[in-house]
Amino acid sequence: MPDAKGFRAVVALLATLGLAFLVFPVIFTGVVAFGGSIFIEFPPQSFSLRWFENIGRINRIWDATLTSLYIGLLTAAIATAMGAAAALALVRSPLPAKAVLTSLLLSPIALPIVAIGIALIQFFILLGVAFTWWSLVIGHVVLVVAYPVRTVAAALTLSNPALEEAAGSLGASPWQVFRTVTLPQMAPGLVSGFLFAFLISFDNYPISVFLVRGDLTTLPIELFNYISQNLDPTPAAFSSAYVAIIATLILLAERRWRIISLSIPR
Amino acid sequence: MQGASPRLTGLLLLAPALIFLAVFYLVPLGSMVEESLRSSAADLDPRPGLSLSQFERVWGSGRSWRALERTVRMSAISTLLTLLIAYPIALFLFQVRPLWRTAILITVFVSLASSLIVRNYGWLVTLADAGPVNQLLLALGLTEEPLRLVYSEGATIVALVHYALPFMILPIYGALTRIPPSYIEAAQSLGAGPWRALFGTVLPLSMPGIFGGTTLSFAICMSAFVTPLMLGSPATAMISQVAAEQFLIQLNFPFGSAMIVALTLVTFGILLAYTLIIRMLFRHHA
Repeated sequence: MPDAKGFRAVVALLATLGLAFLVFPVIFTGVVAFGGSIFIEFPPQSFSLRWFENIGRINRIWDATLTSLYIGLLTAAIATAMGAAAALALVRSPLPAKAVLTSLLLSPIALPIVAIGIALIQFFILLGVAFTWWSLVIGHVVLVVAYPVRTVAAALTLSNPALEEAAGSLGASPWQVFRTVTLPQMAPGLVSGFLFAFLISFDNYPISVFLVRGDLTTLPIELFNYISQNLDPTPAAFSSAYVAIIATLILLAERRWRIISLSIPR
Repeated sequence: MQGASPRLTGLLLLAPALIFLAVFYLVPLGSMVEESLRSSAADLDPRPGLSLSQFERVWGSGRSWRALERTVRMSAISTLLTLLIAYPIALFLFQVRPLWRTAILITVFVSLASSLIVRNYGWLVTLADAGPVNQLLLALGLTEEPLRLVYSEGATIVALVHYALPFMILPIYGALTRIPPSYIEAAQSLGAGPWRALFGTVLPLSMPGIFGGTTLSFAICMSAFVTPLMLGSPATAMISQVAAEQFLIQLNFPFGSAMIVALTLVTFGILLAYTLIIRMLFRHHA
């Protein structure tokens, strides 16, 4: 990159301001979460952990968290299995119209999210299965299936197909080749695809809001409702805990599978 | 893959995803488009004819047309701001030590992965009447009384930029890593100052990243739903919100469907025009 003291200083200054913008709301929310007042105040006059304890008292939030967790894990598992199989076929098999198939599989990312929710709710009402657990999972799988397709395809593109041929010519059965050579090569893509799929499902509001009713509710919906009806710092405590958990998960996944290099578009 | 018929294996591997998307994605989308072509919500009229009357209503009705126009304008502004903030960060990643580079990339990634509702909530409290931004403005004497920053177009744009930022930083950084350092050294040894090297060499060569980032960022903003809901007001509603209202409150499915189809067409139309313009301008770099 261009080199000169003044240039580097300007870039460093602008980048620091940009990064401050990126982390500021998180840090600020973290500080507010430890405040003692029943309203959000900054800087906090007293410190307390009561808002963190309060998270546990909101029953609907807990139930919704569990529902979102189950739905997220199930969604991610289904999407990763289907997406990874499709990616394997697209990268390694001789197929006609690969470009069309690839863009079909990736297209849910490009569509306005509300469109998927709206299209699905009309469809499920027609079938008479609207507002059920499974209709919610199906909606989420449509939304996220593109992510494992993309990450697994990226991992396979970066890997070496000659290793599979070598294993095959040394007498390994196709299943052995898949298990001992192909699968380990897909692993980083599987992990980041699963992680993306889970996080997007866990956080989805625009599709879920069409597909839930009554007792069937998810975390983002309950969180949104709580935020619009209450002014206390409980959501701040919840948000801080959420970001801390996500950061830990990503640190662990990065150390083990180098997921960040996979997510930098090539 | 090896075995008797690699093509058959491929088709079998693809089948679950393709069948799933055909049933739960293509068919519902198709019937939504069909719905948007119905003339009224209570279409008990047995005539099978389809009409464009819902689309005429989208153009004709003040609220939905203004929401669509506002959505395009706010998305364009947000995308431009996101690019201006993201580019120096992507450049900066080359100046810092590898440990810092990883730390910054992880920060970007955590932001990307953390809940959108959580992030919007962060802006809600940050921009609140008693929030730190207002306190800073008061302390600097820039304002006498706290300003109403939340529930506005400005607050929505700030949160949209925050949302789109990781989607801009990563592709630009990716494009910059592919520029051979010798190109930049050559420019500088031929006498170009750092700024000339940036605008004459680095910027055009990073165009694929800028293109990818701006396209993604624009598409994300165009379909924004929760962000304007949390940080805007009914007066600053974006089109997804207005369409959702037709479904959840008015129960007017054809009109809501028409708005969403219009949003999709407008988004793709703008992105297509943008792609053609970029291709024309940067033909010699392709």
